[in-house]
Amino acid sequence: MLAYALGRIAVALGLIWAVVTLVFLIIHLVPGDPAELLLSQGGVAPDPVAVAELRDKLGLDRPLLTQYLQYVGGLLKGDLGSSLLDDHSVTAEIALRLPRTLELIFAASLIAVMFGLPLGALAALRAGGPVDRVLAAAAGLGLSVPVFVVGTIAILIFAQKLRWVPAGGFVPFWRDPVQHLILLMMPACTIAVGLGAVVFRMTRSSVLEVLGRDYVRAAHAKGLTPRRIVFHHVVRNALIPVITVLALHMGSLLGGTVLVEFVFNWPGLSGYLVRAVEQRDYPEVVGIVLVISIAFVIINLAVDLLYAVIDPRVRHG
Amino acid sequence: MAARAISYLYLPGAIVAGIVVVALAAPLLPLADPVKMEVPARLALPSFAHPLGQDEYGRDVLSRIIWGARASLTVAFLSALLAGVIGTTLGLLGGYFRSFIEILTVRSMEAIVCFPPILLALLVVTLMGPGALTLVVALTILYAPGYARVAFAATLAARGLDYVTAQEALGAKPMRILGRTILPNIAPPLLVQFSLTVAAAMVLESGLSFLGLGVVPPAPSWGLMIRGARSTMEQAPWLLLWPCAALTGAILAFNLLCDRLRDVLDPRAGASNAGWLARAMARVLPDASSGPAPSLLAADGLTIEIETSGGPIRPVRGVSLSLAPGETLALVGESGSGKTLTGLALMGLLPPTMTIVDGSIRFVDRAGRTRDLTRLPEAEMRRLRGNEIAMVFQDPSASLNPVHRVGDQVAEGIRAHRDISRADAAAQAVGLLRDVGLPDPQQRARAYPHELSGGQRQRAMIASAVANAPRLLIADEPTTALDVTIQAQILDLLAALKAKGDMGLIFITHNLAVVSEIADRVCVMYAGEIVEEGPVAEVFASPRHPYTAALIASAPDGVDAQLAAIPGTVPLPHMLPDGCAFAPRCACVVEQCRIATPPVAQVSATRASRCFKWKEVA
Repeated sequence: MLAYALGRIAVALGLIWAVVTLVFLIIHLVPGDPAELLLSQGGVAPDPVAVAELRDKLGLDRPLLTQYLQYVGGLLKGDLGSSLLDDHSVTAEIALRLPRTLELIFAASLIAVMFGLPLGALAALRAGGPVDRVLAAAAGLGLSVPVFVVGTIAILIFAQKLRWVPAGGFVPFWRDPVQHLILLMMPACTIAVGLGAVVFRMTRSSVLEVLGRDYVRAAHAKGLTPRRIVFHHVVRNALIPVITVLALHMGSLLGGTVLVEFVFNWPGLSGYLVRAVEQRDYPEVVGIVLVISIAFVIINLAVDLLYAVIDPRVRHG
Repeated sequence: MAARAISYLYLPGAIVAGIVVVALAAPLLPLADPVKMEVPARLALPSFAHPLGQDEYGRDVLSRIIWGARASLTVAFLSALLAGVIGTTLGLLGGYFRSFIEILTVRSMEAIVCFPPILLALLVVTLMGPGALTLVVALTILYAPGYARVAFAATLAARGLDYVTAQEALGAKPMRILGRTILPNIAPPLLVQFSLTVAAAMVLESGLSFLGLGVVPPAPSWGLMIRGARSTMEQAPWLLLWPCAALTGAILAFNLLCDRLRDVLDPRAGASNAGWLARAMARVLPDASSGPAPSLLAADGLTIEIETSGGPIRPVRGVSLSLAPGETLALVGESGSGKTLTGLALMGLLPPTMTIVDGSIRFVDRAGRTRDLTRLPEAEMRRLRGNEIAMVFQDPSASLNPVHRVGDQVAEGIRAHRDISRADAAAQAVGLLRDVGLPDPQQRARAYPHELSGGQRQRAMIASAVANAPRLLIADEPTTALDVTIQAQILDLLAALKAKGDMGLIFITHNLAVVSEIADRVCVMYAGEIVEEGPVAEVFASPRHPYTAALIASAPDGVDAQLAAIPGTVPLPHMLPDGCAFAPRCACVVEQCRIATPPVAQVSATRASRCFKWKEVA
């Protein structure tokens, strides 16, 4: 188990290094002068003085290797550089906003699993029946509605018409826990619609597959109750692929909350990213992309380790 | 590909085609100018000139929806196509040449997948500024790896096929093979990938436009329309409705098409043999439990039916067999003869698609009551299963749950039928594992199935089956999946377990050598029927059915150097010949055999044969 964990961690570290390097290279791979590219607006050639200033600021004049070493050195110290516009520390801003986005993702995943998992298992056990059909249709719809449509319609109904909840915003937990959770509910549920549909589908097909396995028949041959067979023999085996898919989606949600945070005015990492992209603030964008990608790698690492706990075969494989 | 499967595609196909045609025809349709503002008429309700009303700048909503579809689809199709061409090419090259080209093409693209998709798109937008062209570039980069992966996997699979090897041997150039031979063969998964990509690209395009980072206003786009309507949603909520409905509907149609396309191209995905929880007594048969009590088990005229699209078929017909306590009955036959189904029927474990339509299975339980297993409610059947009647399956590796410890899997069968503590059950499980000859049972009980050898796994399965000292044990080819050296050990184990008490054993096998070693009596099955029955020694010495005779002749016995194969194969249950099912392969067939089904002839007090000419066989 320890050897397996260490191996996985080594791979994750390698991936993080690759991501760091790739992000560094992107700006240099783009054809043309990156500084000129960043400053150009609507095809108008930028002011050469400003370009020279930006080149100096980004250190683009120095040799590539020096730039790379400085960049990696900064990262190791936790320094992601500062905003081009106001010199604000990128690290500080991310440290403030990342927890909010993570909270949103975990809340959404929790809701998605709470509904998707049991309903998916139910649909599989009733495969082909009316319950299965209704649930499958609902999941198909859930997968097709873009997340910002769900959010916008939810605001229209629950905030504008019914006036049950505010249209959006954020209150820190320590100031007002109840209000904080109320404000969290709407964006979390919005994300959970699509995510729950994914979990539902994956659970359904995975449970169906496991139900056809020999060991389920053998469990049946022991005279176990259906309840025991489902919970003890089917669900645990069926969970493995569901966890993979959920983790992959949680990872892509790290960037994917952009739309929901925008709709509900949730001051997470993504809102910061959109602003940075709009203003083409390169250090900010790179910092956020790096942090999210590294978090993505870490989530995948956590999943690999979780597998080993669920499936004893993995530990040795 | 069945016609039914194709008609499955009509509905989503028609909707998608409709959307595409309307979007293409936008310039030809009598629509208002989508960007012409009419500020005094802002937020106007639907009218004759503007069927869906006017937006916050007084622009015609219907026109903007249709032109928006055009923008959305153009970006989506263009990027899906570009990504398809780039990704497929790289995947093909990587899959065909492997080695460093694979690293260069396929593996390098996987780095892209490390990024959350929308993030990568935003990175591109940062560098290139918003606009439709940026969107196409971003989406192409994003979706090319998906194609590359699909094409790579499919190419690897196609490469190994004989016709590709044959072309290589004929000296065809790699490019020609890739383009002419492999590409058409991997087209179906690419088609699915394409429709998947279009839907995903539409979602992303509308999302970026909604953020104001995609299509640049005032050009119409569904995402932009939703963005605009959001600001006026208090006064004009309907303006939100139209683009939301258009966007969701279009994505739904593409997703549906994609799902169905996948079902049609890969029919395996839909089929499933699960759903056993829904098992119910499909037909009420006359209760035979009041008839004369058998000594342990008596199946009478057992017939199993499967409902198929081509009508019902009967893979097991009129099977009668009986067993006394302490007796071993071998059920012998080729694969497809119905012997396993008969065993499963005795356990009440037939797949839900199959039902017992005729016959009875009378079983005497420990309390001395005669029960008809075909009529027993599932809850009562469950109390017998694993308790009084147990089964050992063919493949021990698949029959043990990989995620649970071996000891726990034995103990749970004990606890299912007896009210004892977890610790006691665990201790008993260790004892059982010792009884079946596992070395170091304490430690083996804590092992996972993959840590045991094949023979050890089957021993564990047998321990689990005999955990509650069953009156009847059904062993379905328990040695087939094992090495020859292990087979003998398992047979010895079963014999030793039987010697301890009066457990009846039904041994299902195709191996005649095993039969003579372990069984008292033998039932020979052919095409769903028992064709001959009798004591093993007598049947082997003088078979009374041509099939039995042929089976014995075809078995290597170490004496005869000559092995006689039986010509032909077992007929499938839905194309049984008239008359005797064995007639087409029989050496002593006469005219009568092809007309009438032979009845069961009582050869002696203990023997029976289903052959007109049993007297002449031997």
